[in-house]
Amino acid sequence: MQETLFLKHRESENIKDYPFSALKKALAMEPAGVVAEIKKSGLKGRGGAGFPTGVKWELALQEEADQKYVICNGDEGEPGTFKDRYLLEGTPFKVLEGIIIAAYACGAEQGYIYIRGEYDGPIRIFKKVLESAREKGIIGPNVMGSGFSFDLYLVKGAGAYVCGDETSLINSIEGKRGKSRIKPPYPITKGLFDRPTIVNNVETLAAAAEIINQGAERYLSLGTEDSRGTKLVCLSGDVCNPGVYEVEFGQVTLQEIIYDLGKGIKNNRPLKFVVPGGISTQVLTEQEIDIPYTYEDIAEAGSGLGSGAVVVVADGHDLVDLMLNVSRFFMDETCGTCFPCREGNRQVYHMLKKVNGNLNEEKSRIIADIGKTIHLAARCGLGQTSLNFINSVLKKFENELIVRGDS
Amino acid sequence: MEYASFLERMHTVQDTYGYIPENEIDKIAKEFNIPRAKVYGTIRFYSMFYTEPTGKYIIRVCDSLSCHINQSKEIVQIIKDYLGVEHGQTTADKKFTLEIVECLGYCGEGPVMMVNEHVYTRVSGNMVLDILKNCV
Repeated sequence: MQETLFLKHRESENIKDYPFSALKKALAMEPAGVVAEIKKSGLKGRGGAGFPTGVKWELALQEEADQKYVICNGDEGEPGTFKDRYLLEGTPFKVLEGIIIAAYACGAEQGYIYIRGEYDGPIRIFKKVLESAREKGIIGPNVMGSGFSFDLYLVKGAGAYVCGDETSLINSIEGKRGKSRIKPPYPITKGLFDRPTIVNNVETLAAAAEIINQGAERYLSLGTEDSRGTKLVCLSGDVCNPGVYEVEFGQVTLQEIIYDLGKGIKNNRPLKFVVPGGISTQVLTEQEIDIPYTYEDIAEAGSGLGSGAVVVVADGHDLVDLMLNVSRFFMDETCGTCFPCREGNRQVYHMLKKVNGNLNEEKSRIIADIGKTIHLAARCGLGQTSLNFINSVLKKFENELIVRGDS
Repeated sequence: MEYASFLERMHTVQDTYGYIPENEIDKIAKEFNIPRAKVYGTIRFYSMFYTEPTGKYIIRVCDSLSCHINQSKEIVQIIKDYLGVEHGQTTADKKFTLEIVECLGYCGEGPVMMVNEHVYTRVSGNMVLDILKNCV
């Protein structure tokens, strides 16, 4: 089994060696033409929500405003995800190219790249990239002599998972607490400093650059109808060969990713379950992973592709301990605005903490109920998905976990 | 003052003093023309900003799912025993602050720990003790 290399490549550290061919191509086109190309490619947002990138750009292009912004979301924080770090460290020029192309396509003259504070390496690399790009006229008043002006600033995050949500991220750039905003209005119409704003994930922008470079036709030849192109998969957990792998949608199964690319489970232990898209997604058991790696197949199996974080969990771990671990994450990281998310996650944590091998049907039902409430009432993705992991573990391993009332 | 430079300003103060002292909060409030309470509220929202002095070295150990199943719990215990502090506490000599944190983005190379901005991956108990002993 081999990786399909569309996005992954080696990049020289010197800006002089990077051709910026995609940017040159884009600048020679009309902004609407760039948008059309991305729309045609079928690229979906790679941050987790999977919104069609071309549609987002088209809406932003149609907006009329004195200023528009493009934001590159590098606040990667979903446990199990490290592909954006991989791109920021290994191919920062391509990411930069993607940002400028997005700005040009939507008519944004200012942009921000927000990188999480813990990513000290990527921040240092990108600071240098910005300096050299400014020197070379890749960003600034006249991008590569095209007459298009664009300036890009780096914002260092300060430790808040919720800032990966686009509206929270916008608040954070504005120097506020990283709380989500009520949508609508969507950032497309009223985002950063109340101006039209597009927020795109690092991988999305890198893919967009490569689509312009190689053409939408090439991208369309990869993947399936609903999942075009390739995806960077972050493989971690109880697996022999963890790492970032690029796979073509529909060409490999989730099982093959784990057993072929990842070389199987550590110490040949049996598999307990797989988290297919970060801890905000439902777990899949061994019987459920022989499915093509696509948005639609994973959704049909009852979970989500999320950010591409595949966490492999072998048999032998204490399930309640794992649920507690995930629960603590959401309890710590909720921004606290929506009551059900703030209090619900706290209650679930304390309930699980007191379990001591005595998880009964009633507790399980209450946790499921809290999950439903948060899903319905939380206004951002963090809350809505916060109990996916726990409720799916409770449901799929009910027989092992629940102590029946009559025993 | 551009609001977009707010976080950067906080980072500078945090890096200079190891925390954000009262008088700096006053200054920032004046500079950005916002109430002190708002500055304080923002600081408290972010885990990398502190309103109390921290140790010379901030030790961050990841305990999110991927690291957790790779025995980060044991690493945490070894560090706690060595330093004699719990999560969020600073040693009496003001040398170390221990933070058990969520995902640091090195999930394929766990367990992971950071000492200030330096990242150590695939750490073992012995490695961790060596790293801590080398912090002078």
